[in-house]
Amino acid sequence: MKKWKGILASAMLVSSLAACSGGNETSSGSSGSEKADKDEKITLRMAWWGSQPRHDYTLEIIEMYEEKNPNVNIEAEYASWDDYWKKMAPQAAANELPDIIQMDLSYFSQYAENKQLADLTPYVDKQINTKDINENVIDGGKLGDKLYGINAGVNVLGFNYDPETLKKAGVDSLSEDWTWDDYRDLAKKAADAGIFVDTGMKSDVFFNYYLRTLGKSLYSKDGTSLGYEDDKLFEDFFSMTSGLVKDKAVPTPDYLAQLKGIEDDPVVTQKAIGIWQWSNQFVGIQQVAKRPMEIHGMPGPDSDKGLYLKPSMFWSVSNNSKHKEEAAKFVDFLINDIEVNKLTLGDRGVPGSSTVKDELKPLLAPEQQQVFDYVEWAEKNSSAFDGPDPIGAGEVIELMDSLSEQMSYGNLKVKDAAKQFRQQAESILSQNK
Amino acid sequence: MSSPVVRENVQGEVYVPSAKARKRALKQDLTGYAFISPFVIGFFAFTLIPIIMSLYLSFTNYNLFAPPKWIGLENYKKMFTADPRYWQSLKVTLIYVFAGVPLRLGFALLIAMMLNTASRAVGFYRSLFYLPSLIGGSVAVAIMWRNIFGDEGIVNIALSFLGIPGVRWFGDPTAAIWMLIFLSVWQFGSSMLIFLAGLKSIPKSYYEAASVDGANAWQKFIKITLPMLSPVILFNTVMQTIAAFMTFVPAFIISKGTGGPMDGTLLYSLYLYLQGFEFFNMGYANAMAWIMLIIVGILTAIIFASSKLWVHYEADGGK
Amino acid sequence: MKKKSVKWWTYHVLVGGFAILMLYPFIWLLMSSFKESSTIFVTAKSLIPDPWIWTNFVEGWKGIGGNSFGVFIKNTVILVALTLVGQVVSSTLVAYGFARLQFRGKAFWFAIMMVTLMLPGEVVMIPQYIIFAKLEWLNSLKPLVIPAYFGTPFFIFLIVQFIRTIPRELDEAAIIDGCNTFNIFYKIILPLIKPALATAAIFSFYWTWDALLGPVLYLNSPAKYTVSMALNMFLSNETVSNWGAMFAMSVVTLVPVFVIFFLFQRYIVEGMSTSGLKG
Repeated sequence: MKKWKGILASAMLVSSLAACSGGNETSSGSSGSEKADKDEKITLRMAWWGSQPRHDYTLEIIEMYEEKNPNVNIEAEYASWDDYWKKMAPQAAANELPDIIQMDLSYFSQYAENKQLADLTPYVDKQINTKDINENVIDGGKLGDKLYGINAGVNVLGFNYDPETLKKAGVDSLSEDWTWDDYRDLAKKAADAGIFVDTGMKSDVFFNYYLRTLGKSLYSKDGTSLGYEDDKLFEDFFSMTSGLVKDKAVPTPDYLAQLKGIEDDPVVTQKAIGIWQWSNQFVGIQQVAKRPMEIHGMPGPDSDKGLYLKPSMFWSVSNNSKHKEEAAKFVDFLINDIEVNKLTLGDRGVPGSSTVKDELKPLLAPEQQQVFDYVEWAEKNSSAFDGPDPIGAGEVIELMDSLSEQMSYGNLKVKDAAKQFRQQAESILSQNK
Repeated sequence: MSSPVVRENVQGEVYVPSAKARKRALKQDLTGYAFISPFVIGFFAFTLIPIIMSLYLSFTNYNLFAPPKWIGLENYKKMFTADPRYWQSLKVTLIYVFAGVPLRLGFALLIAMMLNTASRAVGFYRSLFYLPSLIGGSVAVAIMWRNIFGDEGIVNIALSFLGIPGVRWFGDPTAAIWMLIFLSVWQFGSSMLIFLAGLKSIPKSYYEAASVDGANAWQKFIKITLPMLSPVILFNTVMQTIAAFMTFVPAFIISKGTGGPMDGTLLYSLYLYLQGFEFFNMGYANAMAWIMLIIVGILTAIIFASSKLWVHYEADGGK
Repeated sequence: MKKKSVKWWTYHVLVGGFAILMLYPFIWLLMSSFKESSTIFVTAKSLIPDPWIWTNFVEGWKGIGGNSFGVFIKNTVILVALTLVGQVVSSTLVAYGFARLQFRGKAFWFAIMMVTLMLPGEVVMIPQYIIFAKLEWLNSLKPLVIPAYFGTPFFIFLIVQFIRTIPRELDEAAIIDGCNTFNIFYKIILPLIKPALATAAIFSFYWTWDALLGPVLYLNSPAKYTVSMALNMFLSNETVSNWGAMFAMSVVTLVPVFVIFFLFQRYIVEGMSTSGLKG
């Protein structure tokens, strides 16, 4: 074995040398000089994912910035969500990440812990002004004591529902402090009326919410194990969700797999009362439904312990950037500049800066106003965020989704699923030790 | 690995190397390598190093971002002993290959034969039949497929006419893989085209001679079409088998990237992708790739070995 | 005469009917591109748009972020043209070497070629990316186009198999006439494998046109994007997707592929019959 390793290692050495010989003489484009002079031309690469409107307004923002800072040239690299992450992985492997990266929570730990992202702490309150931003919001971008991303906005979980469809189930309104029992009642009424109460709960997000209301969490603080000890909690939560599928109050997974987009979502087609999702998704469903809809808080008890402000996305600076300071300046522009945020209008999540929020309010469409109001309410009725998911969370989430699917079909007993989940999830997370 | 090309090397070899013969052999070598030089150069420039690196990475713990850590055979051990999803993906893939490839090829050959007539409408039909393959693996296909195989989709309606109760294609893991198989059969265009090109290459005089001898259509098919087409059949079988093992896009788009329901469409390549790029276990993904290479390599070798029995090369004097 | 007409009818009803069945999904796609974006899925069961609208095409053609869809089509055409020429020419040369010439190490190299087909692209992708990064080829067509000039195993093997259906006596006759190796290749073999070359050209065109992963990895500036990347940009994972524009532009991008297919497929038909081998 040792010998083989030697041969392979030398092959690797040869290969990397061979690969190097191609072009070491000059470097082009973004990888320019070291220290930025005032008049020196600087090129920053900036990458984001999103849809057409986001591309358009972000390009406008870039133009605004370039006008104010004639020495800075920003190259935009945008793509759809799927394509974006396909681009990022090899760029990280080759040390070719763009200077400014729009980062998602689910990939955050993976990139940050592997030293792909720069620690922004040195720039805070110098290049990046955070004085108007709630500390909780800033802390969302921290891993340990290092700040790897500035929160671009926040999202909050909620129940988005259609009041008309609610009436079909014979219910006039939802009470402010409803509980899981009220939810189950509502589900039963919906099923009796021949409609769905909702389209199911994304298992990892809502199980974590449930655990938080009980003072636990899905992952332990250090990310090396699960954050709850008693499998009864797993059993309680998933007995409820799979029971609702069995009672036809919630559609089966194969029904959901046939949906093509939010356009034929059961809420939009009035076959379901509501949908459990993040606050930023409300605007889209409202636009498609073209009917007044409401955002309602999560079921309790102790919903304020369960709710938290989730960073919608981050602005991160890559570790291989040659112009971290300039990149940080641009990040500050993105989060604090009023004109910028008038273009963004909360598309990247409700802004963290209170000054910005106040300036935006008069400009918002009614459904955006609802989102801002809900987030404002949640700021006072929520608890601290647990921090980004640990490495390996992607695998754990997929495991949970798959178990939850099997429980929904009744192919797997909840008790057995709880055991399987603990055993396999612990084995994935233990690799972080 | 054995290949059909090996055989003809034996032809006309000179076993007593005289100086003249050696010179001639050298000239032959030079001409040969001159023709295949693009591939050889490209192989050294773009392919060899990545292949060696991939083999090396399969013995490491590599998350794409941090330097790989050598862990010996751990990845392979985990694959065979501690990963039920791996076996599930292998099972699904084998079903996909062994059911999908013969169906697709049979279908492609049938249509190619039907279109190999002198009718004027044939060019038009040929294009129509090729259209599904042009739509490719776009999101639009995924959406159409969700429509067609939906609870009230056209497939279930057709089945109900035959008295078969509706199938929950998106809920039943054993049914779900058939959606992918149907999709691959539907996109039979590329195999059809190759068959068609092969059929067109058979000299008409062969058929005319057979007609004079009083052969019927079936006899012509067995005695002329099949043997003359056999090199192309070999090509399609080998390539479609390899391609089927590598299938990724349809499974990815139809299951929305999960391989569901309950891993029913978790094709090998999809699982490999998830491991490498979603779970960031790139070392493990590389180990999976090398096991796949061995499996596909053995299968291809078997097909090539069997080809000696059934493939007829006109170039070898009609053996 | 009457009998033949029955046969004729059976043929066309069978083949034509079947073609329509196969085409249903395509027709659905086409019709959906004339529907209003938000109604496409809700009215998925009825084929006919109500009302018919053109705005999807107008919207879609405007493109994304200041680049009209025409830019993406132009980019793709350039990429496809450069790739197609490289793949077909280099693969034909290599295939001739494998199929007709005797040299030492042939079996070895053929086996190597087959092996390169069996390793999934996902695992060689990262090392390859690093090599191209070192060569400073990123954000250009180079990593996509240059490798095409070094032979493509699929096409090499395809053309090998076709050359091997050509009787060797032809070569021998040519040698007696004084042809050298290259002349045999150029004057005898090339005209006879036109169907295979046309097939390879069609595949090369379509696969490059449709390719997603390569362009996604190597093209960073949106102004350089290809159509398949542009189509994905109409979709959103957070808000409302512009399905109408996506479908409309999907239809538009199918047109060149279809035209190319229609033009090239003639050569497949002609092939042997016009080259006049053995009658």
